[in-house]
Amino acid sequence: MSDASNGPSLGGPDDLSERERAAVSALVRAMADDEFVLAERYTEWQVRSPTLESDLALSNVAQDEYGHARLWYDLLGDFGESEADLIWEADPSDFRHATLVELPFPDGDWADAVLRSYLFDVYEKLNLEALEDSSYPRIRDRVGKVQSEEEYHREHAENWLERLCADEEGRGHVQQAVDRLFPYALTLFVPTDRESAIVEFGIRTEPLDSLREDWFAEVIPFLESLGIDLPVTDEGVVEAELPEKIGRRGDHTDHWPELFAAFTHTYREMDLDEPPRLMEDPDDVG
Amino acid sequence: MSADEPERAGGEDAPGPRYCTYTSYEDGEPIDGFPWTGPTGGATDEDGVAERIADALADVEDPEMPISVLDLGLVYGVTVEDGQATIDLTLTYTGCPARDLLQEDVRRAVTDVEDVEEAEVRLVWQPEWTVEMVTEDGTERLREFGLSV
Repeated sequence: MSDASNGPSLGGPDDLSERERAAVSALVRAMADDEFVLAERYTEWQVRSPTLESDLALSNVAQDEYGHARLWYDLLGDFGESEADLIWEADPSDFRHATLVELPFPDGDWADAVLRSYLFDVYEKLNLEALEDSSYPRIRDRVGKVQSEEEYHREHAENWLERLCADEEGRGHVQQAVDRLFPYALTLFVPTDRESAIVEFGIRTEPLDSLREDWFAEVIPFLESLGIDLPVTDEGVVEAELPEKIGRRGDHTDHWPELFAAFTHTYREMDLDEPPRLMEDPDDVG
Repeated sequence: MSADEPERAGGEDAPGPRYCTYTSYEDGEPIDGFPWTGPTGGATDEDGVAERIADALADVEDPEMPISVLDLGLVYGVTVEDGQATIDLTLTYTGCPARDLLQEDVRRAVTDVEDVEEAEVRLVWQPEWTVEMVTEDGTERLREFGLSV
């Protein structure tokens, strides 16, 4: 509605130069895929969460993340890409989500689910703040709505982490999840190949590096306050290495093609990827 | 609970269960000019087409609640030019599973209006919808339905 407070506005989808469009696409694709794939994983908890209340809560979080994914995919739709192109008929290597969101949950590991939600949702909060004054109006106009739906996600995750860490056994589960997921959470901050243009054009007003510093400043003290050990030196230097597969450039773990095959199964089963035929091809008859 | 039983769950020193604190919808701020509920004040509507569109939208019901999209405050703007109507529509939340259905219902209802040749529905997300967007009539209906708005 209002113009970005700093820098010129990029205008609508048809007003973009080729470089601007490529930058918007790269940013939005990564955001949409993060939300979509995380939601896919959350749904695995339906009818399996530890209580009915938490089952409903996580299902609701998943529904929100699908909603946000759709909002971001819509912006790629402006450039002529259909939902089928982007998701159902895409190649698994087209996806740009961070590998944090594609990992399977270890069997019944609720601590993994709430920790992953926490790590992601703090990142998402910071990312959205850096989009509030985006130079691209179609992004800017959506940020407020998404933010209004995110706050309770963090509240849910934080409450559960506090409860789990209240005794030794639960804290042990959270610690194991932190040891496993913390390196993968860093993949959220690995730039796409358009990062410099994204920042140069003011599409996101903060570079990923500074989002990562802000994320450390929030996540580390909170988890430490719960008695969790993090890979941080006494001087506050984070000593965690990125995993082998990052996601942001199309490289994924072996879990990803498996998940992709699972959630596109029905689409293929119904032959939605084949154009409908009114009659048999005469060449195939007899 | 029976009518003469005090509101124990809300009482300060009452033991036992307490009401969930998340029972009311978060109030937003009323925003000038939103939602659109029909041609107003200075708007010229000489041939009455905007008025007829408002009437048509008052008949498009939300699939989950007995309230029209107009009273729910989902319509943010209507323009008509040479028979081409454009409707700005928002949704209560982004994950709304009735998104396609509502857009299509609105498009069809407006297309049927006299002097409208074609209707286009644009989804908009600003300002963010809150219960403040619900009209007075709509609030009444939602209360009858059992919502604490």
